Amino acid sequence: MLMVNYLGCFALIALGFYCMITRHDLIKVVIGMSLVDYGANLLVVSVGFHAGGTAPIFTISELSRASFFVDPIPQALTLTSIVIGACTTAMSLSLCMMLNRQYGTLDTREIRRLRG
Amino acid sequence: MNTFMQNFPILAIMSLFLGAFITSLVARHSQKAGNFISALSVTLALGFILALFKPVMLDGQIITYWLGGWEPVAGWAIGICLEVDALSLFFGLIVTVAVFVSCLYSFTYMNHDDALPNYYTLFLMLSGSVLGLVLSGDLFNVFVMIEIMTFTAVALTAFRTSYEGALEGAFKYLAVGSLGSTGVLVGIALLYSQLHTLNLAQIAALMPVTQGSSVVLAIAFGFLFIGFGTKAFLFPFHPLAADAHAVAPASISLMISGVLTKCGVYGIIRLTYILFQNANRPVVSYLVTGFGAVSMFVCVTMAFNQHNFKRLLAFHSISQVGYVITVVGLSSALGLGAGLYHAMNHTIFKGLLFLTAGAVQHQTGSLDLDRLGGLSKRMPKTTALFLIGAASISGLPPFNGFASKWMIYQATFNAGLLHHNLFYLAVCVCALLTSVLTLASFIKVTQSVFFGQLPKEYEQVEEVPLAMRLPMWILAVLCVVTGLFPSLVQTYLLTPAVSAIANIPAYVDAAMGAGYAADRSVPGGVIASLPVTNTWTPTAWLALLFSVTCAVAIVAILGSPKDRQHEYISQMGEEESAKYDSFFSGEQAVYSQVGGSDLFWGFKHNWRKYFAVMHNWHSGIVNDYTLYGVAAIAFVLLVCVTTL
Repeated sequence: MLMVNYLGCFALIALGFYCMITRHDLIKVVIGMSLVDYGANLLVVSVGFHAGGTAPIFTISELSRASFFVDPIPQALTLTSIVIGACTTAMSLSLCMMLNRQYGTLDTREIRRLRG
Repeated sequence: MNTFMQNFPILAIMSLFLGAFITSLVARHSQKAGNFISALSVTLALGFILALFKPVMLDGQIITYWLGGWEPVAGWAIGICLEVDALSLFFGLIVTVAVFVSCLYSFTYMNHDDALPNYYTLFLMLSGSVLGLVLSGDLFNVFVMIEIMTFTAVALTAFRTSYEGALEGAFKYLAVGSLGSTGVLVGIALLYSQLHTLNLAQIAALMPVTQGSSVVLAIAFGFLFIGFGTKAFLFPFHPLAADAHAVAPASISLMISGVLTKCGVYGIIRLTYILFQNANRPVVSYLVTGFGAVSMFVCVTMAFNQHNFKRLLAFHSISQVGYVITVVGLSSALGLGAGLYHAMNHTIFKGLLFLTAGAVQHQTGSLDLDRLGGLSKRMPKTTALFLIGAASISGLPPFNGFASKWMIYQATFNAGLLHHNLFYLAVCVCALLTSVLTLASFIKVTQSVFFGQLPKEYEQVEEVPLAMRLPMWILAVLCVVTGLFPSLVQTYLLTPAVSAIANIPAYVDAAMGAGYAADRSVPGGVIASLPVTNTWTPTAWLALLFSVTCAVAIVAILGSPKDRQHEYISQMGEEESAKYDSFFSGEQAVYSQVGGSDLFWGFKHNWRKYFAVMHNWHSGIVNDYTLYGVAAIAFVLLVCVTTL
C-alpha cells in the first residue's frame, strides 16, 4: 500500500522536472516547480505513516505503551513545507507577472537577456 | 558550562529577526530610525558571536541551546537545538562580519532607491536565516533557514525591479534554485525514514551503525549533497549566481557571494565529515573534489568573456568557491584548513571587490567594462581599494589570497603524492592554472575600468563618500591582516575549526549527553595542529613588495619628462581610431587606449571554439539550466547508488 505512495511521489517529482525542462511557458515552469514540491511533501508524509496507526492526538494521561499512532513529526514537517511551497508559487507567479509586464512575453526562449 | 553563554546563539539570531520586524514597523515613519534599528541589530549579532569566540575557539567548548528547554529524553532528541562548535562559530563569524559591513555600506549605497523599509527588512531576514543555518543543530531547521534565505535573496536580487534583467535573474534563481531546496527536503525525508531523528548530533551518532547496509541512506546523501551544492552554486548551477549577482545591488552581491555560498560550503562539510562521516571514502572524495575542480576551472574561463563588471566578479566568486570545495573533498586536515581559510578570505576579498564595483556603479551608473575607463583619475581611493582586492583574489603576496592558495596547492599536491594519485596532481595543476587565469582576468578589469583613457561622459565623476569607503577599508585591512599573519589565523581560527570537524564524539556528546557517542562507538579524534609544511614568511614578502614599489616609484619620478604629457594630451582626440594601433602599428600612437577586452586576444582567439561552446551552453533559458541541474542530480544519485 505504502509502495504506491513512494512510487507516486517520485513519479510526481519526475513529472515536475520534465515539465520544467520541456515547457517554454513560464507559468508551466511554475506548475512544474509545484509538482516537484507536492512530490516531496507526499514523500515526507508517507515516511511517517504506520499502517493502522491512529492520529497522534493524545494527552499525557492517555498515552500508554499500547498506543499506536502515526509519527507526528513528518506531519509537522509537511505542513511547514506546504507553506513554504505556497510561498514559492506566490513569489514565482508575482515575478512572472512583472516579467510579462517588462518583456511583453512569458516565453522562456525570449526571456534571456542575461546569458553567455 | 557557562549557562549565561548558552543564550548567546539564540540572541544573535533573534536580534536579526526581531530587527527585521521592528525595522518594517519603524522605517515607514522614519527612515533614520529604521537605519538605526538595522545597524543596532547587526552590531548586536556581531557582538554576541564575538563573545562566543573565547569559550568556543580558545577553550574548545561546544555550546548547546535547546529551544523551549526540550532536552533529549532517553537518548532521543525531541526538541530543536542550536549547537555551536568551532566550525559553526567560524562560519558564524564570517557571516556576521560580512553582514555588518554590507549593512554599513547599504546606508549610503542605497540612498537613491525607494522602498527602503522593505530592503532593510529583507536584508535582516536574510542575515538572520543564514546565521540560523550555520548555528542550527537540527536538520529540518537547516531546511527552513535555507528556504528563508532563498526567498529573501531572490526578493533582494529583484529589488531594483526596473533594472535591466533584475526580474529575469531573480526568476532563474528561484526556479533552478528550487531543485536544490527539493533535494534537501527529499534527503531529509529519506534520512528520517532510516534514522527517525532530525538532530544533527544524533544522526552522526546513529550513522556508523546503519550506514553501508542501506541504499536509502546513499540516496539521501546524494540528494543532500546536490542540495547544498546548489546553495554553493557549484557547477552546473553557476549560471544562477552569475545572473543574480549581475543584477542585484552590490551590497546584496556581497551577501550572495560572501555569505550564501558559504552556507553551501558549511553544509557540504557538515554532511560529509560529521553526518555521514564518509569524506575519507575515495568515491565521495572524487565526487566533491571533482565538482569543485570543474567549477573552479569552468567559471574562471567564463569570467574571461564577460563585459559586465559584476557578472565577471560573479563567475570569479564561484571559481573561488570551487577552490574551497576542491580541498574540502581531500579529507585531510591540511585540506580542510586550507578550505576554511580560503572560504574566509573569499568573503573578505570578494566582498571588497563587489563593494568597489558598487562604488563604480553608484558614481557612474554603469557596469559595462567596454564603456568605463580611466576612473583612477577621478576615483583614486576606490582604485586603491580595488587593487588590494584584485591582488588578493589573484593570490599575490602579501595579501590573504596568497596565503590560502599556498595551502591549497600544498594540500592537493600532498594528497597526490600520498596516495600516488594522478587525479589530485591534475587538480593541483588545475588550481595553479585557475589562479593564473584569475590574475589575467583581473588585469583586464583593472585596465578596462580604472586605467586607460577617461571617457568624456565620466569626466565629472566624484569619489564615493567616506561612508561608503569605510566598509571597504574594513575589508581591505582584513585582507592585509589575514594575509600577513597566517600563523595567527591558523592558531586561533583554523585549528579549532578543523579539530571540531575531526572530533565527532565531542559534538555528539555536547548535544546528547556525555557517553552517548562512546556507547555507539562514534569514530573521531583530536587534531592538535595543522601539518603545514614550508610555511612562508609574509613579512619578507612585504619587504620585497615595499622595495619594488620604491624602485618603481623612483623610476617613475625620474623618468617622466614634461613633453610626453603634451603628446599624451594631443592624442586624446583620436583614441577611437588608434585603439588597436599599439598592437598592429604602435609607432604611430604610443599612448592610444588599449581596451581591457583586447588584452588577451591571442589567448581568446586560440580558445575560440571552447568559448563558443561555453557561450552557447550558458543560453540564459530557464529550461536549459533546469536540465543541467536535473542531469547533475541524476549523475550524483547514480554514483551514490552504485558505489556507496
